[in-house]
Amino acid sequence: MSGTGKEQSVGIPPAEQASGARLTTLRILLSNEFGLLVLIVLFAIIFSTISPAFLSKFSLYALGRTSAVNIMIGFSMMVVIITGGLNLSVGSIGVCAAMFGGLLMQAFAMPWPLAVCGGLAMGAALGALNGFIIVRSGLHSFIITLATMSIFFGVMIFLTRAESYRDISPAFTSFGRMKLAGIISPLLLVSVVAGILLSVLFRYTALGREMLATGANERAAELSGIRVHRIITYCHLLSGVLAGVAGLMLVSRTGAAIPSMAGQLGQDWLLPAFLGPVLGGTLLTGGRVSVLGTFLGSFLVTMLTTGLLLMQVGAFWMQTYLGLLLLAAVLIDMVRRSYLTRRKLI
Amino acid sequence: MSIQNAPSETSVFVAEGMTKTFPGVTALEDVRLSLSKGSIHALLGENGAGKSTLIKAITGVHRLDSGRMMLNGQLFEPTDTRDAISRGIGVVHQERNLIPRFSIGENIFLESLNAHPLRRIDYNKLFRDARVWLEMLGVDADPAMPVHRLSVAKTQLVEIAKALSLNSRILLLDEPTAALTPHETDTLFKILRQLRDDGVSLMFVSHKLEEVQEICDRVTVLRDGKNACESQPLEGLDRQAIVRLMIGRNEQIPDWSARDRSTGKALLQLKNVSTSLGHKEIDLSVHKGEIVGLYGLVGAGRSELAKSILGKFQVTGGEVLVNGSRAEIHSVADAVRRYRIGYVSEDRKSEGLVLMHSVLENVGMPIWRRLAGLAHFLTNGKIRKHTEPYIRKLEVRTPSLEQHVGNLSGGNQQKVSVAKWLAAEVQILIIDEPSVGIDIKTKAYLHELIRELSDNGTALLLITSDMPEMITLADHIVVMNDYRIMGEIDNTRDYDTMSERIMTLIQGEELVAAE
Amino acid sequence: MSRRFWETDWFGPLMVVVVAVAVVSILNPSFLSPFNIQVLLLAIAVNAMIAFSQMIIIAIGQMNLSVGAIGGLSAIAFAGMMEVWGIPWPIAAILALALGVLAGVANGVLVALTGISAFVITLASLSVYKGVNLGITEAQPFYKIPDVVKGLGNDTFLHPLPWLIIPCVLAALLLWYLLNRLPLGRSILAVGGNEHAAELSGISVRRVVIVAHAISGLLAASAGIMLVGRLQLGQPTIGDDWLILSFAAPVIGGAILSGGHVSVAGTLLGVAIVAIFTQVLVLFNIDPFLVQVVLGVLILWAVGVNRFREVRALKHSAQVAS
Repeated sequence: MSGTGKEQSVGIPPAEQASGARLTTLRILLSNEFGLLVLIVLFAIIFSTISPAFLSKFSLYALGRTSAVNIMIGFSMMVVIITGGLNLSVGSIGVCAAMFGGLLMQAFAMPWPLAVCGGLAMGAALGALNGFIIVRSGLHSFIITLATMSIFFGVMIFLTRAESYRDISPAFTSFGRMKLAGIISPLLLVSVVAGILLSVLFRYTALGREMLATGANERAAELSGIRVHRIITYCHLLSGVLAGVAGLMLVSRTGAAIPSMAGQLGQDWLLPAFLGPVLGGTLLTGGRVSVLGTFLGSFLVTMLTTGLLLMQVGAFWMQTYLGLLLLAAVLIDMVRRSYLTRRKLI
Repeated sequence: MSIQNAPSETSVFVAEGMTKTFPGVTALEDVRLSLSKGSIHALLGENGAGKSTLIKAITGVHRLDSGRMMLNGQLFEPTDTRDAISRGIGVVHQERNLIPRFSIGENIFLESLNAHPLRRIDYNKLFRDARVWLEMLGVDADPAMPVHRLSVAKTQLVEIAKALSLNSRILLLDEPTAALTPHETDTLFKILRQLRDDGVSLMFVSHKLEEVQEICDRVTVLRDGKNACESQPLEGLDRQAIVRLMIGRNEQIPDWSARDRSTGKALLQLKNVSTSLGHKEIDLSVHKGEIVGLYGLVGAGRSELAKSILGKFQVTGGEVLVNGSRAEIHSVADAVRRYRIGYVSEDRKSEGLVLMHSVLENVGMPIWRRLAGLAHFLTNGKIRKHTEPYIRKLEVRTPSLEQHVGNLSGGNQQKVSVAKWLAAEVQILIIDEPSVGIDIKTKAYLHELIRELSDNGTALLLITSDMPEMITLADHIVVMNDYRIMGEIDNTRDYDTMSERIMTLIQGEELVAAE
Repeated sequence: MSRRFWETDWFGPLMVVVVAVAVVSILNPSFLSPFNIQVLLLAIAVNAMIAFSQMIIIAIGQMNLSVGAIGGLSAIAFAGMMEVWGIPWPIAAILALALGVLAGVANGVLVALTGISAFVITLASLSVYKGVNLGITEAQPFYKIPDVVKGLGNDTFLHPLPWLIIPCVLAALLLWYLLNRLPLGRSILAVGGNEHAAELSGISVRRVVIVAHAISGLLAASAGIMLVGRLQLGQPTIGDDWLILSFAAPVIGGAILSGGHVSVAGTLLGVAIVAIFTQVLVLFNIDPFLVQVVLGVLILWAVGVNRFREVRALKHSAQVAS
């Protein structure tokens, strides 16, 4: 770029200051989060007009409960995406953590809070292992987590002989089936709390800033004295914990830890894991995050799925719709971003 | 060297009104240029004046917003690089543009191979043909060798062979000599003169004015994306006159007298250091308040040495001393946090700054940990308090501290990368090519700042390929070539004698090798 | 400076194959029985197509998650056209291959024109193609497969060589010729090695990316069609478990994931290694679930070895340069 310093020169001219407020409004209107909110409201209206059952208490409750899990899965992928990496093993880790929790409750008759901690520790350990291998080998997280997704899942199936743990502590299952104020699942509250904690991490801590800096430009971050390897490992560890939370949420909801709950190798989680962050405006190349966006994105996806199923629009075609949605999301994002860049809004 | 006929009679390439804008920047504005048959045309300008954009427009990488180009009297509007190549335009690009795992031979002939995607490649013939070009350029290498095994200088020569092999009638060379030793440069110049005599039109971009004066016959100077002069005969223009065209006024070399700062405490010392990258027997010391310049050609291993000192690459032998005692640096974080060593990278965009983050984030990066409280808690307010004074001091021009660094001009970006280390209060600062891609005013400002920093006791290691900059700033100059130190001299600040002595030092090894 | 044979990509995997075959056949002589060899070759034939389909995309430095979905879609299209429309099998096969190419081209066009990472595009197209597959079949297989197709999918033309090995060998030879002798194949590797440089050398990066994805689609479709013959039915689940394998074999064969370097022979040996290991688990009655673990470990081992070789090569070149 040829910089003469003229274009961006000096402070803020008065005229621009006046239009500053308008620019900010425009920026908000063009933001992902706002767009998602509009879509959520729009689809809620459409679904409830076509099928009034959509707004029934149970339907709303079920929507909240399902989206809670999808939001956690989205968060789990999000914290790795910000480093510019991927974690294909989210599903595998989630199931492993859930199965370990189930094992602790059934075979060791542990009280559920301890078993939950055990499950999360398993998630953390597997995530950290991913991070360790990625950092040590210097290879892209794609291939490493592709391999570990297969390894984690295979070992889990081998050890559990593909059998479920159904002897789950009643207190734990009742948590997953509880209704607050008639329609709110406590699982959704868990996701909200996780979202708040993640927002604090990225906005108000040195660690969170270092994660974003590492993701945006690893070389620059390292040369500024950030221990980038350690940071990347932390991100994967965190991803493992969040995947574990999602897995345990499912256990609490279904009352059993089932090896196939995320499909073969945990692959069924992959699409929701990416849809949330991508719809929410988290950059796949790393360095920029939107916790609220991921939350809303995952919620929108769950709502669309639930609504379409409710309207009985070909359950078999669901995957096609989600695929098209992902495609549409990235294409719209591309157009939006180039518009913002042209208008110099970002 | 003689001036050819007037450009109007033998012009093979004429461009008028060339204009090209990028978001926020006008890179070229109403630029004119004409290249005549059998001439070597110099294209000069400061970094960021638009030279590369001009070359990319001629070679079909960028499309012009307006203006027109005529080639051999016909309208020339290249749709892409392939189109430009097929119309007889060859280029040696500034960035390295070879396919790393492909052989030298295949890289040289990549363009012509591509013309017939389904015709079998005859590798024997290809290597035979490649050898001819290599011999012509004096490169001793097997054409079947993959290029990623070559040294920087040989890679550059392969790129030149690649451009020559197209037998283009117009050949553009963007900094072709940056990595070449004087001997290799001489060989290249012989070939360029030969081509000129054969009627080829050459355009030569270099920041080494001595070279330009030696080989070129005409000159076009760009300043801020506009013509400062167009296709003017070079004869009669002296160095001063050219510089005046480039920067728009007389060159102002600050009248800083030579000083000896080697009596102060040695803050950074390297003793017989070798590294995993291949440095050998490196001895170097930088004292408190001293500016030590590290001069060498591109590929001499200077930035690599800097990064080894920082702990990014491994030091395999000898010892590094900071403040007189042996330093245990295992990672850049150790260097920055424990020993307060900072590094301003030559490559701002990919390793100096986080372009997509704000000014505040960038300047605060090295001190986040230091500022963070309980449970890593850290607010923008606290970072602002510790960084804003430095951002103000350096007069970084930005609408706000929240502005993305990527939106700032080159000069302001460079100020941000320096401010970062001021805020970190480093005692040793390594500055790598400080004036790449910044305007002349910021450059002068940065020079004063560097001088001021040294006066305040910071030990500075300055890496630059810009000879005048080196002679203006450094107290002591260390010359490197091929990952070794060739010698060191105190800077007398007399340009002519100093530049001659430095080039002699670089050539030193070559003469020995030739014997 | 020519490379010694033990430095080539295929030497390591070849040694693994030789040692594995030797050890296993000593422990269990039935491993080398004609029947077992036939089973092994059948697995290799199909898996090699899957691996090649990913390999050509790795060559341009991208990834294709939709390999399995394209294969599955082509497979049920092949079976469906024969059952529902009664189209003769050769024509159905050609149409199914064309569908695969089309699906690949769609991937390629989206990646090339938008500049969005191939990962996201193919993740989206994976679920689109898989969704269409499920939408058409409603998860029910097509059962009416002509006997000729069943025969080609399982029988041998020269005991113990199965018919399926023929398209596999053909594909391997053509790919080798393409990637090592034809400018088109070299452009594919050039784009993977340094996209920017390739562009400046007059290579049309977009076209190369689209061509590579088209080839990938063609190979994935071939694998799907071959599987219909072998399984003797048009299973909608065909392709679901291809992803890991499709990366394992090329990587074991020395492919560099950032692009610009793949080995056809190495990939073929990678497929053989995976097939042998899987077979061993069956022969020795070891839990078949461990196949997944073995695949995962093989990938990690292979990328580790490749990385080590790369680092060593770099060091070597640093020494040569200085």
